[in-house]
Amino acid sequence: MRKAIAVFLTMMLLGAMLAACGAANNENAAPGATGTATQAPVKNATIKIFQFKVEIAEALDKLKEAYESEHPGIKLNIETVGGGSDYGAALKAKFTSGDEPDIFNNGGFNELNTWQDRIEDVSDQPWVADTLDVAKEPMSKDGKLFGMPMNLEGYGFIYNKDMFQKAGITNTPKTLTELKDACAKLKAAGMTPFANGYGEWWILGIHNFNVAVAQHDNPMQWVADRNAGKVKIAGDKIFEDWANMLDLTLENGNKNPLTTDYNTQVTLFASGETAMMQQGNWTQVQIDKITPNMNLGVLPMPINDDAEKNDKLFAGVPSNWVVNKNSKVKEEAKEFLNWLVTSEVGKDYIVNQFKFIPAFKSIEVKDEKTLGPIAGDVMAYSTAGKTLSWNWFNYPDGMTNELGAAIQSYVKKRDRASMFKEMDKQWDRLAKK
Amino acid sequence: MKSHSSSREWLLQALFVGPALLVFTIIVALPFALGLYYSLTDWNGVSEKVQWIGLGNFRTLASDEGFWDSFGFTARFTLVAVVLTNAVGFALALILTRYLKLRNVLRTIFFLPNVIGGLLLGFIWQFIFVKGFAAMGNWTGLSFFELPWLGDATTAFWAVVIVSVWTGAGYLMVIYIASLTNVPADLYEAASIDGASSLQRLFKITIPMIMPAITIGLFLALSWSFKTFDVILSLTRGGPYNSTQSVALNIYTEAFQNNQLGLGTAKAIVFFLVVALITMVQVWFTKRQEVEA
Repeated sequence: MRKAIAVFLTMMLLGAMLAACGAANNENAAPGATGTATQAPVKNATIKIFQFKVEIAEALDKLKEAYESEHPGIKLNIETVGGGSDYGAALKAKFTSGDEPDIFNNGGFNELNTWQDRIEDVSDQPWVADTLDVAKEPMSKDGKLFGMPMNLEGYGFIYNKDMFQKAGITNTPKTLTELKDACAKLKAAGMTPFANGYGEWWILGIHNFNVAVAQHDNPMQWVADRNAGKVKIAGDKIFEDWANMLDLTLENGNKNPLTTDYNTQVTLFASGETAMMQQGNWTQVQIDKITPNMNLGVLPMPINDDAEKNDKLFAGVPSNWVVNKNSKVKEEAKEFLNWLVTSEVGKDYIVNQFKFIPAFKSIEVKDEKTLGPIAGDVMAYSTAGKTLSWNWFNYPDGMTNELGAAIQSYVKKRDRASMFKEMDKQWDRLAKK
Repeated sequence: MKSHSSSREWLLQALFVGPALLVFTIIVALPFALGLYYSLTDWNGVSEKVQWIGLGNFRTLASDEGFWDSFGFTARFTLVAVVLTNAVGFALALILTRYLKLRNVLRTIFFLPNVIGGLLLGFIWQFIFVKGFAAMGNWTGLSFFELPWLGDATTAFWAVVIVSVWTGAGYLMVIYIASLTNVPADLYEAASIDGASSLQRLFKITIPMIMPAITIGLFLALSWSFKTFDVILSLTRGGPYNSTQSVALNIYTEAFQNNQLGLGTAKAIVFFLVVALITMVQVWFTKRQEVEA
């Protein structure tokens, strides 16, 4: 305990010292070197990038070489720390220890509110006009844009087309009843329908729970009302329906779902042991490593029998590039981000190396095969306008973890009333700031 | 003359104590004071605005059930872990003070977990519980291995206990070995001549004679168990459904995940007071049990 206190109190101490240093620097810089940052970019600048997408870390290193040889004098210093909340804590440590990155990631919405004091307004950047409207939402505030969307991602029930065929499932299930029938057929053919990675709080708390939130007529409004305590989860028909879908996955899933983590889930699915899993297009790379060229598709996640309402995938912007407002090289940092989405090299990296579904009108995916079948389905649903939104960035901080815990408890105890009650209670607690 | 020697004294003291004091001030005392300050604010850990809210955080945490649940978990865990770690450490020490051939090798092996960090151990054991135990279950058919390890509150609790005991026992073993070898052999000899059985020798001679080591052992195990963090973070992350969330993890979550650094430090202050009180009582109590030869 004393060590823990010491460690994080030390960080605060360093933070205070940093604040003092920062102030001093500003004063020194003011009279002499006015405007060096805003006029011609300084030669020999180092841009520190701190990002969380582990999947693209290697490709980013290659991109760094390409950028540095094209821009003599500019150095990129890229650091990657993966995984949800760990990134947030590491980023805070960076800021409080004085080693502030110039470019970092932000999820937008509520996270934008938390970090707003540190983030530069990028509304005037050339790429803004090319950005898809839906991708601008997370980082928009008061009519300004504060970040560049990294990519688009989508999720649903990824399914193995070959196994479906073997089990004699001819048309893809689009309602809960159809999905139930498909599960029965798969089981009759001796296959396990679902790989449930419910040991992972985020699979439940972030993606699974969002299915219910997104099915509301105006999800943004619902979340705002829930934050204000005007509506409740308990007694909401949509959440009852959603729990039916959750039950279906539990009744037709692998054993011990609560000890199944992300890796195990993807491995179960990719090695052909199960026919479906709730995941997104980010799993493509990992699946390819286990079984290349799998015949895959993405199913919607139906919570009831309204075919039209349920035939949708969940697409959104997982994260955004933002520029540190207090960075000394922020012009260079903006220049780099602009290059990333406008230059031919940068565009090529986004599609062919990062395997991103681009969030820009100006970036084309020439061959759908480069991104794989999962992204293909996500893009097909997106162009058809059949997508539902990602809403967790609007929840209070820490809410997704509590939701994950509440649903895990449900997986174990199967008590709906107490799950909904717990969710409402935690939401009230965390929304109160 | 007198003033000269006293200033010399001062200089000497400053020389020996100064560096340690300086380091202690910078990395313990000062941050502690800052923590006290932040616990009275609503700082989220990022923003440039820090607003003073007095005792508001302490009122909030008083009604935070998750915090008190984590206290409950920590108390149960500490109770079990302190007893088991000391019992296993003491038993190992008793065995490894006999003249065994592999004595030194075994001592090293049991101490080894201490050299590997808790975070790593957590990951290793997570693999063992999830993959290793499942494989053993398939192979042997024993129901013990087929339990949903880490998957429900009970097994997750015992999993954390197993890993902590396994890590801590080796360290306490070394302390007990050092203390056991210091018990004068003539006491045992005299007792044997008087016809004391080996159990009687254990309870009437060995244990009273190594009471100082037991004090240390209990104190160490108590403080380890109370502040346990890294093993839980990597083994269960507090799950499933927050059932293995220790107080330290709850504080970390509040400060860094919920972005409520002020509330997090307030919890840390409360936790500090509780731990300080308990360890003081424990040291005072076991001190009274110590005897001189």
